[in-house]
Amino acid sequence: MVPKFKPSPLRIRSFCTKTVQQNPHHWPIKQITKTNFNESLSEIKNHISSSDFIAVSLQNTGSFSSPWHRVSTFDTPETAYLKAKFAAERFQILQFAICPFKLQASKVIAYPYNFHLFPRDELKMGMPSYSFTCQTSYLTAMAKEGFDFNTCIYDGISYLSEAQESTVKVRMGNPMAVDHATKSSSSPALSVADTVFIERVRSRVKHWKNACTDSDIKTEAALVTSLRKIVLGGEQFGSRPSMTIDVCSERQVQLVLKMLEDFSDVLVPLIIPAKGGGTQAVRAVLTSSDEDKHLLKRELQTFEFEQNKRVRGFREVIDLISASQKPIVAHNSLNDFTFIHSKFLAPLPPNMNEFICSLRLAFPQVIDVNYLLKDIGPVKKMTNISATIAYLKNRFFAPIEMEIPNQANENEGKIHGHNVVKICQLFGKLCSILKITPDAIESSDDFLASAINRYANIFYSLPGSSQEPTNEEIRGWTNDKRKVSCEDVVFLWGFRERISAGILKNMLQGSHEVFAEAFNVRMVDRSCAIVVFGKPGLSNTFKNVMNSKEVSGPLREMVSDGLKAAGYETYQRVCSSGLWESALADALDKALASHNCLSEAAYETKQSEIYLSNELINLAEL
Amino acid sequence: MKKRWPITILYRAFSSSTTSTTASFPLKHVKKSNFDSALSSLRHHIQAADFVAIDLEMTGITSAPWRDSFEFDRFDVRYLKVKDSAEKFAVIQFGVSPFRWDPLKQSFITHPHNFFIFQRQELPLDGAAYEFLCQTTSMDFLAKYQFDFNACIHEGVSYLSREQEDKALKHVNSTYKDESLDSWHSLKEIRDTHLFNIPDILFAERMKDRLSEWLGGLLRNRDEGSEVQPSFNDSKQQFETIFFKMRPAISLNGFTSHQLRLIQLKEVKDEQKIDAEMSIKASIGFRHVIDLLSSEKKLIVGHNCFLDIAHIYSKFFGPLPLTAEEFISSVNKYFPHIIDTKILLNSNSILQQRMKKSSTSLSKAFSVLCPQIALGSKSTHLSLQPSVKVEVEVDDIRSSNWNSGVKHEAGYDAFMTGCVFAQACSHLGIDFKQQSSSENLAHNEKLREHVNLLYLSWTNGEIINLSTGNRTSESLASNKRKNHYPKILFECIVIVWGFPSHLKAWDIRECISKVYGPTSVISVYHVDETAVFVQFSRAEMVSKFLDLKESLDRNNDPISVLHPLAKLLEGGNTCAASYETYKEICSSTVSKVLFADQAKAVGIKWKTKLVESSDKTKEHESLRKVKAVNSDPSCGERTKNKNFDDVSNDSSYSQLSSDEIIDSFYTREAKQI
Repeated sequence: MVPKFKPSPLRIRSFCTKTVQQNPHHWPIKQITKTNFNESLSEIKNHISSSDFIAVSLQNTGSFSSPWHRVSTFDTPETAYLKAKFAAERFQILQFAICPFKLQASKVIAYPYNFHLFPRDELKMGMPSYSFTCQTSYLTAMAKEGFDFNTCIYDGISYLSEAQESTVKVRMGNPMAVDHATKSSSSPALSVADTVFIERVRSRVKHWKNACTDSDIKTEAALVTSLRKIVLGGEQFGSRPSMTIDVCSERQVQLVLKMLEDFSDVLVPLIIPAKGGGTQAVRAVLTSSDEDKHLLKRELQTFEFEQNKRVRGFREVIDLISASQKPIVAHNSLNDFTFIHSKFLAPLPPNMNEFICSLRLAFPQVIDVNYLLKDIGPVKKMTNISATIAYLKNRFFAPIEMEIPNQANENEGKIHGHNVVKICQLFGKLCSILKITPDAIESSDDFLASAINRYANIFYSLPGSSQEPTNEEIRGWTNDKRKVSCEDVVFLWGFRERISAGILKNMLQGSHEVFAEAFNVRMVDRSCAIVVFGKPGLSNTFKNVMNSKEVSGPLREMVSDGLKAAGYETYQRVCSSGLWESALADALDKALASHNCLSEAAYETKQSEIYLSNELINLAEL
Repeated sequence: MKKRWPITILYRAFSSSTTSTTASFPLKHVKKSNFDSALSSLRHHIQAADFVAIDLEMTGITSAPWRDSFEFDRFDVRYLKVKDSAEKFAVIQFGVSPFRWDPLKQSFITHPHNFFIFQRQELPLDGAAYEFLCQTTSMDFLAKYQFDFNACIHEGVSYLSREQEDKALKHVNSTYKDESLDSWHSLKEIRDTHLFNIPDILFAERMKDRLSEWLGGLLRNRDEGSEVQPSFNDSKQQFETIFFKMRPAISLNGFTSHQLRLIQLKEVKDEQKIDAEMSIKASIGFRHVIDLLSSEKKLIVGHNCFLDIAHIYSKFFGPLPLTAEEFISSVNKYFPHIIDTKILLNSNSILQQRMKKSSTSLSKAFSVLCPQIALGSKSTHLSLQPSVKVEVEVDDIRSSNWNSGVKHEAGYDAFMTGCVFAQACSHLGIDFKQQSSSENLAHNEKLREHVNLLYLSWTNGEIINLSTGNRTSESLASNKRKNHYPKILFECIVIVWGFPSHLKAWDIRECISKVYGPTSVISVYHVDETAVFVQFSRAEMVSKFLDLKESLDRNNDPISVLHPLAKLLEGGNTCAASYETYKEICSSTVSKVLFADQAKAVGIKWKTKLVESSDKTKEHESLRKVKAVNSDPSCGERTKNKNFDDVSNDSSYSQLSSDEIIDSFYTREAKQI
């Protein structure tokens, strides 16, 4: 979609009403910590349910440790995912900003919140994370923005992922009320052993029940009572007497439950889960009446509810967002959602497809503003939201009015989480430029949905990066929209450090006949470069030459100095087997070494996989 | 973070006993802003000091639960664990407390400094970004003691290790060399570059020639001193005049600014190089303190400080060596005299008596040995024992019973360590009054036997001598250790991981005992929930077990399914190997939380690693050793088994968080009499 607007010199006049805030530094973003988390939840819930979209933005403790760990233009979606996964598993989210917002014509009504998180081990179970990595430069940058690390560590909200929550439930061994699903499994014919077991338990239960209900005994001395307790195996469950029946198998559980149905007027069965999963015992709790029984059940429910809430912590918010099924707007979605998945859903799956499937269950629609931007045209190289907004402001007439009805608590020192509001603003602008905003009055949800769907769930849209060194040599290629197959890419390393791409290209040019055709060189990091061949097939010729013993001419000299080459599949193997060495050259060396140990068969399958997939990368941004 | 008793109780005691004589001025905190002034004053204090007490606060201790210190740590594995910890975690606070005996006042004078340190990437070094690990529980622990993370990250003093400095200097040198080289290249090879055209090249070359001539002349001048050859002098003079007069000439002649830039390039480059070197020197930062400690060869006093020393080495000198032996010999070069107060207290019977068999944790030792400082001067009932007076001086304020009211901070911990040491020396009979100031305390004959001993592992009481490299087990103190086992024979140990998660130590033991008999397994110890050490009674059982497991894995027939070991192999992910593999896995830089994941990440693809059983003589020898050690095998075994199974079968084990483990460590430490 090409915009029809011409760049407009018109300045957007800010309409200064009480709530409309154009100056980002005055945006009232609610700062949420452990102290005000619970009281804010219901308010957030309302805002989420009444919003059209929810913008998210994360502040992490780091992103990539080495230059080549950064997702770059030569990455396929798969390797990009693996890089993002590596980062998400090591670094930590310290701030999570969410902003439910509505689009009304040229107005964005936003309710931004900034949550301070810290993975405190509230349950003393080594969760949510045993440790995490911090990158000094990230912390320093946050410090410059006036971030309060003490608030974050002392008072950050903890959380558990869904997967962790279920392990915790088992490990805590809390008694669970029996739901009918587990009860009603069909029981086959009883064996003799079963009958004996049931009868034995039945008589024990009967004795114990009678002993408890018998009013005469209440006058007994304390010693006798305690002795009786030991003999009968009775315990207290809260204020009520209870009895634990040990079981050896799930079948016995069913048998005991079935037997206890005979006492269902007063006894409530509870299941005590075992540590490794399964059931450890069944506990029967004696209630005094029907009312008491209901009361107990309600008590159990509230107990579980309260505990879950405590355990989940911040994930409560993630659950709210997920439950709302609203489209989520992010700026760097691959990065953000690998983090979200690994911290709040479950450990990250080994490949991109599984990740997308798993994520889609929780968040059906994710929109990356970067992807919307691509439709506008040559704004590719913008990673900074403010710069993008400024750019759009100069180029298009699409005034967006920000309305933030929040009443920020003024006494709090610093306000963080501006990015999330900027994402809303940028999204509003883009929608207005791309005309996917529904008219305020006759908003047709279907139209919006279909428009949004076009942009949703594209996680890997070749992120342009402004920080990459612009190499003059490559400029010629920039206008060339040609995509390059991974097959034509060769990784080259083992040359003098701090060499420039230009010199390397010059060195290669005369070294072998494959370099007679058009080719391109780009540095990945200081130790490694990629060579892109213009003509298909040349890369294989080159790799073969490098592997053969008969290298001649200047290339021979370079090879004897340590020059090595490998195809894209080696790079993919580096990423998939997690060889995250700080220099790509070392990682490639390791991958080659480990590859030699593998059997031929494994090699064959790997090869074909690569050739089948035939992934494309965009050379335009190389 | 240190594994120590929380000292809240102590603080309460402080506040209640505050009297008019108790001064409560704050500890001297050193941050970026006051570092330079603090360094210059500290320099004098260290030079005059008799000894310097140190303490560190870190962002964590173990990068994964299975890297925690175990009884089953062989010394080389222990070193690898310490190395991993020192490499991954950051030091965020460094306490330095120089102690000087003042003969006039008959007391020690100390100047505790509490440095906030935080390594920033101030130089454009290539390669990986600076990063460090945080252990969640440690951060929480620090937070509990109100550690000021803001002071650390916002205003912490940065530093460069010696190795980083060398690298940076080399980088600067090569950059300025390389660039000229590159531009030569580009001049020669890339004809079509838009930057240079032919006149440009000629111009630049001419200027370069002139400049290098001039520079060469200058350099020669410097080398040859006053004997300057007239011809050179002439050319230099000429050049200089030309050079300085050229600028107006250029502008008059209408040279482009582009050409001007070409000239200035050279000139500016030299300046830039000097600037770059200056900024490297400026970013040495906190390492000046370490360099000072090292160059002054002062006696360094720490409390259970092996990890601290490893941190100092990796942060301020260079990457930690691969083996403990290399590490020890280089540490000894940098710090010739180190004393560990924890060893001192445990190894001397007089001090043990003084300690009244209480714990040797720092705060406990401080309150027992130095009650006059810990509790204020009022506690007269304790004045029976001769107490060493310690006067604290912070920014010209002095007090003989200082109560800083500080939290669990490195500067205060260093102060406590120093006080404990001073008091311990006095109990050992060292008379500071007769100690001449010129004499090094480390050479005192009463201390000599304690110098340079460090706990390699507090858990199994292994001590290493830094000056000789000898390892000894704690001798004197051994009798008071609760868990004292005969020496563990590492060749009898198999590590098993990836077994079904419901199997606990007891099940595994039972399973193996069914095959090799009830006395075959001495103990089964949980490394974490996914891995166990199985200690066999004889070394040859290791290879037998591995062989059997391998063949069972291979033949998946009904017979092997019915084999007693099948229970252990269920699921098909069970792996086993000798102790050497554990060491190998420990040496990896990767740290996955679960051991089974770690093994996978390290790249282990096999399921069983067989050991060479051909070495019969070695086996024989180890057999003899077992007999020698276990003179009464059944008895020793029983108690041992009970103990280990207690630990590992404890139903709460899997629930234990590291926090609790630390807690239990405290309790154990506390119980150790």
